[in-house]
Amino acid sequence: MNETCISIRHLSVFYGKSVALKDISLSIPGRQITAIIGPSGCGKTTLLRSINRLIESTDETRVSGEILVDGQNIMDRRLDVTALRKKIGLLAQKPSPLPMSIYDNVAYGPRIHGERDRKALDRTVQDCLQTVSLWDEVKHRLRAPASRLSVGQQQRLCLARSLAVRPEILLCDEPTSALDPVSSQTIEKKLVELKKDYTIVIVTHNIHQAIRLADYVIHLYLGELVEHGPANEVFEHPKEERTRAYINGTFLADIKFDKELDLKGTKCPYNFVYAKLALDDLAEGNILRIIVDDPTAVTELPRGMEADGYEVLNSNQLNKTDWEIVIRK
Amino acid sequence: MEKGLSRLIGRRWADLAATRLMFVATVFVASVAVFIGIGLLLKSWPILEARPLSELLFSSVWCPSRGEFGFYPFIMGTLWVTGLAGIIALPLSLLSALYLAEYAPNKVRALVKPALDLLAGIPSVVYGIWGILALSLGGISIGFNVLAGGIVLAIMVIPVVTSVSEEVFRTVPRDIKEASLAVGATRWETAKHVVMRASLPGVAAAVVLGFSRAFGETMAVLMVVGNVARAPSSVMDPAYPLTALIANNYGEMMSVPLYDSALLLAALVLLVMVLVFNVAARLALARVQRRWA
Ligand SMILES: Nc1ncnc2c1ncn2[C@@H]1O[C@H](COP(=O)(O)OP(=O)(O)OP(=O)(O)O)[C@@H](O)[C@H]1O
Ligand SMILES: [Mg+2]
Repeated sequence: MNETCISIRHLSVFYGKSVALKDISLSIPGRQITAIIGPSGCGKTTLLRSINRLIESTDETRVSGEILVDGQNIMDRRLDVTALRKKIGLLAQKPSPLPMSIYDNVAYGPRIHGERDRKALDRTVQDCLQTVSLWDEVKHRLRAPASRLSVGQQQRLCLARSLAVRPEILLCDEPTSALDPVSSQTIEKKLVELKKDYTIVIVTHNIHQAIRLADYVIHLYLGELVEHGPANEVFEHPKEERTRAYINGTFLADIKFDKELDLKGTKCPYNFVYAKLALDDLAEGNILRIIVDDPTAVTELPRGMEADGYEVLNSNQLNKTDWEIVIRK
Repeated sequence: MEKGLSRLIGRRWADLAATRLMFVATVFVASVAVFIGIGLLLKSWPILEARPLSELLFSSVWCPSRGEFGFYPFIMGTLWVTGLAGIIALPLSLLSALYLAEYAPNKVRALVKPALDLLAGIPSVVYGIWGILALSLGGISIGFNVLAGGIVLAIMVIPVVTSVSEEVFRTVPRDIKEASLAVGATRWETAKHVVMRASLPGVAAAVVLGFSRAFGETMAVLMVVGNVARAPSSVMDPAYPLTALIANNYGEMMSVPLYDSALLLAALVLLVMVLVFNVAARLALARVQRRWA
């Protein structure tokens, strides 16, 4: 177990009157990859942006609680935010190259922090571009505008730009969601390589990515901390029902159903009977997906199935009226 | 099937008609500029034939009754007043536009923006009157000179340039501003290196627009610059810009030979100056962008 790097105590964040994070307390281990997972709008980005205090740049936000980075409370008003952000790099969801050349993008941070020496800058730029495996692709056109790179290359450039100020921590907000599979893989590979020197916190919607990368997992739901802990524990034996449902639910996107049944318009208990009949035809371990629009069925049907010894993998609202329920025999 | 086909034809036709219409409109707009140029050139041809161009442009003697037409004082008058207005207005406009776009709370922006747009719409005579009042009543008695003209002109240009620049600054994506903040840049560094750079073409357009207007601005300037036909040598000297020359004299003393032609030449010179300024600004922008790119 590595020493704690970031510890968050009673953190709450409000946008105007609405609360985005409710009393979050947890510790993020150093030199590991921590994944923040949870459904859309649960406050993942908010949590990430609190750690480098970028949250302040949004109007009318209110933050309470403490975040300790290397033992220092970063909420302290007297803290030098620029020094904090130098220590904490950010990789955004959408590649965001600055409107300047490839070279200047990487040199931007060091220059801001006072590096003037041409040789040192050259070295930093080359080092960082090599670290993200971009050097060979761009070394002949370092003066070209960064916007001419492909999206995948731009994201690697942004990673290089973050690394150029030699941070200790790297925050990544869904860094691969705008990328093609190959570029995503490259970024993932880089993050794994980087974790020996950096503490990495990554927000992801992709549970597989979390499983591949994470050493530590934080699950948020509607602004609350549901569960956090070492990745293998959380993924294999989640303590919380909601975590289990979330992990299964997102897994389901890839599950092949052996049979699908549309039971819209049928009332309890008929839909239950139809579902049972359908299950009778299936082999052990096969999976049935049913769609219902009867509100009582949404709660009663899974309960009945579990009572009869079937496993309910997920029940999930599809739209205003329809729910899907996935059952394994 | 029938219906689908006729609908398709209808849409094709509308598309074609719209394309043609836009083309005609563009030709019309562009040709107005050409016609004005040609008209001015034809009308000022007599004096261009009668006097060498170098004398017209660089002689300081303006005495129409003796047949001497030196435009130098007027050209310099225009350059001084506009230049001074630029020196005053540019930093003020850009800084306040940056403030409004990047720093000001929403409430402040909601209050100031309409005020700016209102200021931009005030007729120039009003600014002129206000200028005269300020000059004659105010404790700051600076007299009728380049300084007064420059200040009044600057005040007229500031709302336009500020308002347009602010819009341009606000189109800079949040992502790249945050990317800059996230490596530890301050807000000012971000504004300077990222926001200004990303919005340079738009801001340049705003500035060119503002100053093309300033070059040709007549009423307000005419009322406060003093209108003495001598090239100014400091901002405390009076001046006589081309616009004021034309507005003060056109339609009078038309019996003086070549006088009418001389005033139209003044208009042509003004047009060329604005054109040169536009082209120069564009070239400078292209150059800067090539270097940055
Ligand atoms: N600038 C803002 N003003 C008001 N509310 C906001 C703002 N930004 C986020 N919120 C709200 O705060 C909550 C958390 O948002 P956040 O962006 O942190 O979610 P998220 O988990 O990152 O979602 P996603 O996975 O879709 O990116 C949401 O309910 C959102 O609507
Ligand atoms: Mg998010």
